Amino acid sequence: MKYDAIAIGAGTNGLVAATLLAKAGRQVLLVEQSDAIGGTARLLEFAPGFRAAPLGMDPGWLPPSVARAVGLKGVAARHAAAPLTLAVQPREFLTLWSDVGLAAEAIGRHSPKDAEAWPAFASKMDTLAGFLERVYRRPPLDLDSRSPRELLSAAGLALAFRGLGRAYMTALLRTLPMPVQDLLDDWFECEPLKAALAPAGVQHLRQGPRSAGTAFVLLHHLVGAPPGAMRRSGRWSNEPGGVVAALEQAARQSGVAIRTAAKVRRIQVNDDAVTGVVLESGEEIAAPVVLSSADPARTLLGMVDPVWLNPEFLRAVGNIKFRGCTAVVAYALDRLIDLPGLNNAAEVLAGTVTLTRTREALERAYDDAKYGRVSERPHVEITVPTLATPSDAPDGKHVLLARMQYAPYHLRDGTEWDTGQREALADSVTKAVAEISPAFADRVRHRAVFAPTDFEHQFGLTEGAAYQGELMLDQILFMRPLPGWSRYRMPVDGLYLCGSGTHPGGGVTGAPGHNAAREILRDFKRRRLRRARWENP
Amino acid sequence: MSGSRYDAIVVGGGHNGLVCAAYLARAGRKVLVLERRPVLGGAALSEEVFPGFKFSVFSYVVSLLRPEIIRDLDLPRHGLQILPLESTLTPLDNGDYLASWADPDETRRELYRHSPRDAEAASQFGRLMLHMAMAAKPILGLVPPDPASLAPSDLRGLYRLGQHFHSLGSENFHAFCKLMTMSSADYLDEWYEFDPLKATKSASGIIGTFLGPRSPGTAYVLLHHYMGEIDGAFRAWGFQKGGTGGVSAAIASAARGFGAELRINAAVERVVTRGGQATGVVLDNGEEIAASTVVSALDPRRTFTQLLDPDELPGDLVAGVRRYKFRGSSAKVNLALAGLPEFTCLPGRGPHLRGAISISPSVEYLERAYDDAKYGEFSRAPYMDIVIPSMIDPDMAPPGKHVMSIFVQYAPYHVNGGWTDARREALGDSVIKTLARYAPNIESLILHRQVLTPADIERIVGLSEGNIFQGELALQQLFFLRPVPAWAKYRTPIRGYWQCGAGTHPGGGVMGASGRLAAHAILGARQH
Repeated sequence: MKYDAIAIGAGTNGLVAATLLAKAGRQVLLVEQSDAIGGTARLLEFAPGFRAAPLGMDPGWLPPSVARAVGLKGVAARHAAAPLTLAVQPREFLTLWSDVGLAAEAIGRHSPKDAEAWPAFASKMDTLAGFLERVYRRPPLDLDSRSPRELLSAAGLALAFRGLGRAYMTALLRTLPMPVQDLLDDWFECEPLKAALAPAGVQHLRQGPRSAGTAFVLLHHLVGAPPGAMRRSGRWSNEPGGVVAALEQAARQSGVAIRTAAKVRRIQVNDDAVTGVVLESGEEIAAPVVLSSADPARTLLGMVDPVWLNPEFLRAVGNIKFRGCTAVVAYALDRLIDLPGLNNAAEVLAGTVTLTRTREALERAYDDAKYGRVSERPHVEITVPTLATPSDAPDGKHVLLARMQYAPYHLRDGTEWDTGQREALADSVTKAVAEISPAFADRVRHRAVFAPTDFEHQFGLTEGAAYQGELMLDQILFMRPLPGWSRYRMPVDGLYLCGSGTHPGGGVTGAPGHNAAREILRDFKRRRLRRARWENP
Repeated sequence: MSGSRYDAIVVGGGHNGLVCAAYLARAGRKVLVLERRPVLGGAALSEEVFPGFKFSVFSYVVSLLRPEIIRDLDLPRHGLQILPLESTLTPLDNGDYLASWADPDETRRELYRHSPRDAEAASQFGRLMLHMAMAAKPILGLVPPDPASLAPSDLRGLYRLGQHFHSLGSENFHAFCKLMTMSSADYLDEWYEFDPLKATKSASGIIGTFLGPRSPGTAYVLLHHYMGEIDGAFRAWGFQKGGTGGVSAAIASAARGFGAELRINAAVERVVTRGGQATGVVLDNGEEIAASTVVSALDPRRTFTQLLDPDELPGDLVAGVRRYKFRGSSAKVNLALAGLPEFTCLPGRGPHLRGAISISPSVEYLERAYDDAKYGEFSRAPYMDIVIPSMIDPDMAPPGKHVMSIFVQYAPYHVNGGWTDARREALGDSVIKTLARYAPNIESLILHRQVLTPADIERIVGLSEGNIFQGELALQQLFFLRPVPAWAKYRTPIRGYWQCGAGTHPGGGVMGASGRLAAHAILGARQH
């Protein structure tokens, strides 16, 4: 079999990119190192009968255009019953329903003034995130290019920007570099509301809410969410396997050949051009195009012989900030926990419950990570995914996922992420959950800890970084993964990146894969033209 | 009108107000500067605080004063004399030190001693910084165009800015983008390995901000150190002979030379407006002075909400000013010394005492100093930038005695429990205690000690919340967003009322650029 392209990694981005290439008539082979498909979205059976995707707490945004292009049917995000709740103190909760009126009512119990500001805030964030959504649907602007196509694309974006109107234009430019702390201070007075919103600004980031650019990260996490929804928590569908199964089906139907348990040892290069891949088994597979949804460091430092890359470029890749700092504890529960003080615990737990009561506590949790320590009092968020997909646990039983920050990949003084370290982390998370649900520990039949090192081993994520590189101001848009290399093409002819390490980043399911596939198809077309000219001068 | 009527009144006789006045007077306007205090200069001030001991009480080094201002106003003729401050000494916790000297070869050898790799990287880093400084320089002299406006002047400005960035070439443009968005610690991590070097360099990125070296948005301030070099006026940092007040005095003298009138002890109570037009000012003694142009060199809070009734202004402007962040974070300790401090890492009276001494032994040290401030305490072990001006200018102290200026960070304006006399002294004690770790004889040398907290800076100089830059130099408060979106071009909604302080682009640091750009904007707007 001769392939036009080999895609590395069968996560959502790899699946989307491979499918789009195949739909355009290319012969595509998708190779995956593990024996299952789905990447970070795949379900792991962490206890007999209990399945969860530890990094899949937030299903991310699947751009409708991507879903259409890939040909996904019957998969829709289910957000409606996925509110964001803050445990204000034991027995007291603040629930932000995506229904603006309901949320305002809940906020009003803490501050009538903030309740009044809420609809305007929700609508403003929705408009700003809406502009980002537009930016995310395309490759980042190439600021150096003077090609008519680029200029047209830039003009389109400029028009859309103008279309926001003066007030929103300024708000967007002002908001992106802000600390989420200051953004929330601009709008609100009551700390519980601010504490509920701030964590989205630091998700998967080794930064605290006072750091510049965290307001952008908040907006990033609102892209694709319905107006008023402050976290996209929910599921892609109630079908088993959800979006992963649908994507796999779409890929196979469009003719993508998929091989699991096929780890790539090396990307073959000859004369500055890709010639194929070599698997761990030693098997060589030829193709003129290789696209990798593995992160930039793994792909460029781990799979390509450095002789083909410029040392300056390699140095820049080595400087990409990954710094995974998220750990997840998956609990197998013999029944749903209750939350004293709430009679609708199931509704609330289907969404996200955040346990950090103040932004100061969030900042202090970050302080520990700055110095290479696990947060003494971590920031913990919980959800019960089996409320939407009961089949992921035995009858009547449930999975509870607790995501915690900060658990830095690099621990101080050579401390390792060993069993002791991980059990201590799980204990501190259990303790935090028990504060709002005293009977919690008794319901736990089993627990599994995923530290950043586990994400690295399990999913091949460098430093356990869920988004394949921090979403900091210097690593987004035309600077992701590196300034000058944001258009998915790498300096070796035929080599592309298509994972969340590229624009628009993580948490936006399939968008990098979609944008990358578009660029690859353009190059296919151009190359054919070049060859045609060559052959018939 | 009568002969006493002025074309323009400048409120506030700090260096920006004086620069603005000088440029207006130079263009033939009749200008009056009104200063509340009995001395001109604002925070650029020399004072004999203790008999025989002269201090640059607040701002203590000069590096950024724009060369075009020095030229236009012929400041050397009016007494501007900058004495170079060429070395930096960082005492380390292991008893060693890190130094940079006037002689680049010597600096290189010193760095090589700590890390051959860093010595190699330093020259490449220096070249990059010079490119970056050249990229930034035109922006300092530019009225910021508003990207949200469709006015031809703004579109022209944006186009020119685009052209400028394009002319840098993509490599430099990308480096510039990184510099604008990264933290100084991350930025330096890409270049260097020796931690005290990174700490000392990143310290210049945190001065005057409420940010730590690991906070994004601190990297671009690294440029400041290199700005002086490209302009060639003087290398990097320097002292004004006689103290920083001499800079203000030179500008004041230039302004007077052009015919400006400067009045001290004249506190402006408010700006008088009629029908949306400024018509003059009223002093706190009730005196009313008329002028068709009034320029405020005060910070945005005072300019918009104290000198004016906020009801006269559009609601979004007032809201913007209210959310504008000051958060002063630095304090100043001025010492009169009986002799010279003896640093354990480098004993004796060496050339290191003629330069800056930086207490920044590690990035973590600085970051921990910031942690204290985040939660409302002054740093238990603060970052300090120390100079001994009397080593360079012996006139600053009686023979054989010395003055020492210590810039201290962090001392948050909003300290838990508020600033009291006891807390001020506690801050002074913690500064001396920290310094004594590196120069144990310091305590026995102190004849007098002056501690200035952000609250003191606010009370004395009038800078809101004691912010030395008239507002944080944070990304969302720069360029066309400074001080408030849509009002970043020195204009205000009141006709004839202008802003020219460091609260406008390009901000603080004894640059004078705001005053100059404001004067040009005013002169461009008025037809005579």
